[in-house]
Amino acid sequence: MRTYRVAYPLTWRAMDVLEAFVAFVWPPSFRAAVPYLFLLPALILVGLLVLGLIQIADTSMRVLDRDTFLLSDAYSLDNYRRALTEPFFATIAGRSIIGSLIVTVITLVFAFPYAYLMVRTSSSALRKFLLVALFLPFFIGQVVRAYGWLIILGNQGIVNDILGHAGIPTLRLLYNYPAVLFGLVQYMLPFAVLMLAPALTAIPEELEAAAGSLGASWLKTFRHVVLPLARPGLVGAGLVVMTLSLTDFAIPAMLGGGSQDFIANAIYDQFFRTSDQGLGATLSLLLVAVGSLLVGVVFTAFGAGTLAMGGRRK
Amino acid sequence: MTFGDFQAVKDTSFDLPKGKFLTILGPSGSGKTTLLRLIAGFEKPTVGEIFINGQPVNAVPPYKRAIGMVFQKLALFPHMTAAENVAFPLKMRRHDARNIGKQVERYLELVKLGGYGTRRIHELSGGQQQRVAIARALVFEPDLLLLDEPLAALDVKLREEMQLEFRRIQKELGVTTINVTHDQREALVVSDEIIIMNDGAIQQKAQPVRAYRAPENPFVAHFIGVTNFIEAVAVSANGSTVTLTCKGRELVGVLAAGSAGLAQAARCTCAIRAEQVRIAPSQDRLGKLETQVRGQVNDAIFEGERIVYEIKVAELGDVLMKVFDHDPVGHLQFGPGDIVHLGWNAKDLHVFAK
Repeated sequence: MRTYRVAYPLTWRAMDVLEAFVAFVWPPSFRAAVPYLFLLPALILVGLLVLGLIQIADTSMRVLDRDTFLLSDAYSLDNYRRALTEPFFATIAGRSIIGSLIVTVITLVFAFPYAYLMVRTSSSALRKFLLVALFLPFFIGQVVRAYGWLIILGNQGIVNDILGHAGIPTLRLLYNYPAVLFGLVQYMLPFAVLMLAPALTAIPEELEAAAGSLGASWLKTFRHVVLPLARPGLVGAGLVVMTLSLTDFAIPAMLGGGSQDFIANAIYDQFFRTSDQGLGATLSLLLVAVGSLLVGVVFTAFGAGTLAMGGRRK
Repeated sequence: MTFGDFQAVKDTSFDLPKGKFLTILGPSGSGKTTLLRLIAGFEKPTVGEIFINGQPVNAVPPYKRAIGMVFQKLALFPHMTAAENVAFPLKMRRHDARNIGKQVERYLELVKLGGYGTRRIHELSGGQQQRVAIARALVFEPDLLLLDEPLAALDVKLREEMQLEFRRIQKELGVTTINVTHDQREALVVSDEIIIMNDGAIQQKAQPVRAYRAPENPFVAHFIGVTNFIEAVAVSANGSTVTLTCKGRELVGVLAAGSAGLAQAARCTCAIRAEQVRIAPSQDRLGKLETQVRGQVNDAIFEGERIVYEIKVAELGDVLMKVFDHDPVGHLQFGPGDIVHLGWNAKDLHVFAK
């Protein structure tokens, strides 16, 4: 046996030694645990987040003492009462939820043709152009982009400049609800397209040709074939856009100019302006709850879409 | 039809009488699918005109042409049941909702899928999906049925079963059909008429028997059946009977229908089918076969119902000839190295001018 081994190349023998070492450190009977070992970093990260949530839950039940600016030691639900009854917070919550729904619908309507064209075009140059145009905004941070809109839409901005030349008096394009929604749509569009594109790629082009040969016009093919088959993509993209808009901070802050706060802005104010960490924590938890509820409703109504990762896709 | 600089289909004029089953046969890249897509209306011809029922249709979009098509990958709608798939063309054509159910049922019966209507597409087997696709393409009683190699993905047994099924349904309904395939067997089995295509041009249009027995050019002879080619030089011609020489050996053959008359000393390609060559251990067993040569077995391939021999023939310039032996009773088999005698009839040797 030993003499036979001599004939092996050196690298083989090195590998033998290495394998023996690995077998010693990590016996084959442990092998089933390997996949879980790789899961560990992710589990730790998520676990930390859950720990943070527990901490926030704890803070949310302590009331700020206005004299000492310290949180009370005793637990109370006073923060929740304030958050749920004071009209100020109801306005902000309504503005955020309605805003995120409007943004979701508009974004999907805009993203669908973009993704469709990108997936179906036979011109590789056009496809590349659309892809680059999609990724370019990612290189520009959200804050810089919002600032860009301030320059373009401001009272002395490019748009008002052009309107002025056309004899139209200066329009107030910023610091209102439509401006925030506009900024959010522009911010969310790439996400929606990226979520939609794989779903549209999964629809064989032949199906559309088949629908055509079976008597369906372009519109009917879209209505009866493309749209139902794109549903997983629409659900996935819609969920991403909705949760991201609902929790967004920078766009409402900058394009709303303080007058169009979303929930995230209110939380920021509580933590860093009024220093009422208790109320801030309460609002945070309520935001998580509302977001989860919306996701849950969509999941039960439409299925998990592409987010089901093919697990239970219809 | 031109894509950029590439001419996918050229020189393809043909007409198809009502109720006939035509197969366009050709290797991949021969332009047969492009031709089908042109007829279906998915592509627009750069030159030329297509007529259906005597009407020019170049300007008519696919959804307004009454053409049923069975696609290569079937293209069934995965989000619908079998019955909903079959009902789709009727709904799109705004048929009376009360009749749709009855019509769908009738066509599911026709393809032997009665009772399967409520199944989802992925719950059906490959053969059943095939049948749904056929029913869907036929349910609205189209003027023309197009088949784009729908059987290519099936295993051999199922494919042969479906070929006969296509033929039965086509005869039963009498629908004019154009089938595209690269499977020569399928073309011979199902068609009334075959068009053999290569390089975007029609090579031959003929009934199956004629396409097989009287190929008009070497491509057709090569593409259908197993064919041996012998290079030779013409010596003399008497009507369609040609006398040639190959390495000093005299051969007699028949000039192919498509070929023009032969000039003296013209170089020719001769073709003979593997099954038209008889193989025997001695010359006297070949009987009265007109051409006889000696050869040496290079290889013997057992294929079950027949044995395929590869014979090296020194007299014809070391050409390797394929020969079928279908004698299941004699149990006679030659091995590599054996000396054998080959013989064939002069009328089976097709001569093509170069």
